[in-house]
Amino acid sequence: MIKFVIKRVISMVLILLSLTAIVFVLQRISGVSPAHAFLGPSASQQAVAHETHLLGYDKPLLAQFVHYVSGLLSGNLEMSLRTRHPVSTDIASFLPATAELALTGLAFAILLGAAFGLLSAARFRGAGLFRFLLMSFASAPVFLLALLAVLLVSGKLHWLPSTGDSGYFNAPTGPTGVVVVDGLLHGQWAIAWDGVRHLVLPATAVALGPAVSIGRVLRGSLEATMGTDFVRTARAKGLRERTIVTRHALRNSLSAALSMTGLQVGLMFAGVVVVETIFAWPGIGLYIDQSIPQADFPAIAGVTLVLGVAYVVINAVVDVLQAVIDPRVTLE
Amino acid sequence: MAIIESHVASPRRRTGRWSGARRLVRDASVVDQCGIVLLGVLVLAAIFAPLLAPYSPIAPAGLPFSSPSGAHLMGTDEVGYDIFSRVLFGLRSSLFGVLLVVTSGVVIGGAIGLVAGARGGKVDAFLMRLTDLFLALPGPVLAIALVAALGPSEMHTLLAVSIVWWPFYARIMRGEIRALAARPHFEAVQMAGVRPFRRIVRYLLPGATSAMVITASLDVGNLVLTLAGLSFLGLGAPAPAPELGAMSARGLVYLLQNWWVPVMPALAVFLLSMAANLTGDALGARGSDR
Repeated sequence: MIKFVIKRVISMVLILLSLTAIVFVLQRISGVSPAHAFLGPSASQQAVAHETHLLGYDKPLLAQFVHYVSGLLSGNLEMSLRTRHPVSTDIASFLPATAELALTGLAFAILLGAAFGLLSAARFRGAGLFRFLLMSFASAPVFLLALLAVLLVSGKLHWLPSTGDSGYFNAPTGPTGVVVVDGLLHGQWAIAWDGVRHLVLPATAVALGPAVSIGRVLRGSLEATMGTDFVRTARAKGLRERTIVTRHALRNSLSAALSMTGLQVGLMFAGVVVVETIFAWPGIGLYIDQSIPQADFPAIAGVTLVLGVAYVVINAVVDVLQAVIDPRVTLE
Repeated sequence: MAIIESHVASPRRRTGRWSGARRLVRDASVVDQCGIVLLGVLVLAAIFAPLLAPYSPIAPAGLPFSSPSGAHLMGTDEVGYDIFSRVLFGLRSSLFGVLLVVTSGVVIGGAIGLVAGARGGKVDAFLMRLTDLFLALPGPVLAIALVAALGPSEMHTLLAVSIVWWPFYARIMRGEIRALAARPHFEAVQMAGVRPFRRIVRYLLPGATSAMVITASLDVGNLVLTLAGLSFLGLGAPAPAPELGAMSARGLVYLLQNWWVPVMPALAVFLLSMAANLTGDALGARGSDR
């Protein structure tokens, strides 16, 4: 087990190194000179040349790459062309809101996915309609779900708010930067509850698509497990059907659904970026969306790295969890 | 040698040109049948968009913000463009993009998977490490960075998505080839002394095509959504070009007063993806029956 974890961590580091290499190459392709970005658009040719030398961007590519990676490790993501702040500062101020949305979305996706999977494995009246409904969720672009949510739930029914992460201008800003958590920590229940109300619609919009994929895989592997010999044995020794599903079959079916969850996180990140622009959610999705029209590549590279690292780490954790659930995984 | 080879059963099956398609529609459930028909209608609408569109997609056709009516089926937007005409042309660019990315995925991924599966050994190990590396990175996020680095345009978006899209196909292809190479018919071909190239193209490739076709058909719906999402973020053709995602994004500010401006293009994306998913399901169900 420990050997497996160590192997997984080493491969994770290699993947992250490749990710940095890709972003590094893209930075070269983008034609945005970091020195120019640092000095601003009106800097003279000489000043840029001088700064390029100071920052080490006239050295051989490999030396530059080593410099780039060591810079990243100390949290240097270069300068944003648009905001004129270090990208790391920008991201630090936008990341908590995105983490809040993405993690809530992930939790929703897992809960809804489990519900969809178990429900669609059961046979009941209207199961065909239910399948059609799930198919619709899986086929709807995330922006359609978000638009309809804003239009109906927020615009027509006035049940939930549709912009931002808080209706309070004096909401506490520390220590986590997540409105709901900060509200709770400061004992301001109204602000925390308001944060929850702001969170429901965007998190649901983000979660529905991945939830259907997770549910599908769960259903498929659950059905396969229910046909195996050990389930027949369990039935033969007189266990109740519920016990068989919850105690025996579910654990064996979880592995596939878990790896699907890990894969869906990548798609979910793209969804988060879109949903943040629709709900004016003050996260890194909104930040990257505003950086794209300005060709602010340092900002885009920073967000790519942060989301990429999150994705790779989450999938490494998923792999280890899989090994915990099913020890056969480590033997491969 | 040719005589011996002729006794080896080829996995290729000969059937009438249309019988496969007819069986696909006949065996599908009612819902899937609707999906297949819908996909057909949408594809035809996209192909014949210039004939079907009542107005030009990039010239004002009426007053701004006319609600949907007989004259403007989906209403008009903030400039006075006819949304229905723009949606028809948008479907066209969506389908073109999907076709291009799926084809490149099947060709590039298929070739890499084929070489890896057929050669084995170090070549296989190297190519599969490369594939795993790409699979371990978040494709859509990487695509955003790629387009941003190259500069937003329709072609760059398609190129970027193609670059992150092939690894999945390489995996499927390699798995199929490895499984086929272990089968008795291939052993027989080897003993008959068929040349390696012919061995692969004639006796391995045909057996893997059905899995690739099914994978591709199940992929179309996702791809429609991914491309529309990138277009929504402004990573597609510039302003007046009729792209469904971009139309929806630009109409966003008018959502509460003139809902049809952002919702109609988004609905078109939904219908296209839904039709593709239902058709893919019908194809997949047929594939697993065999």
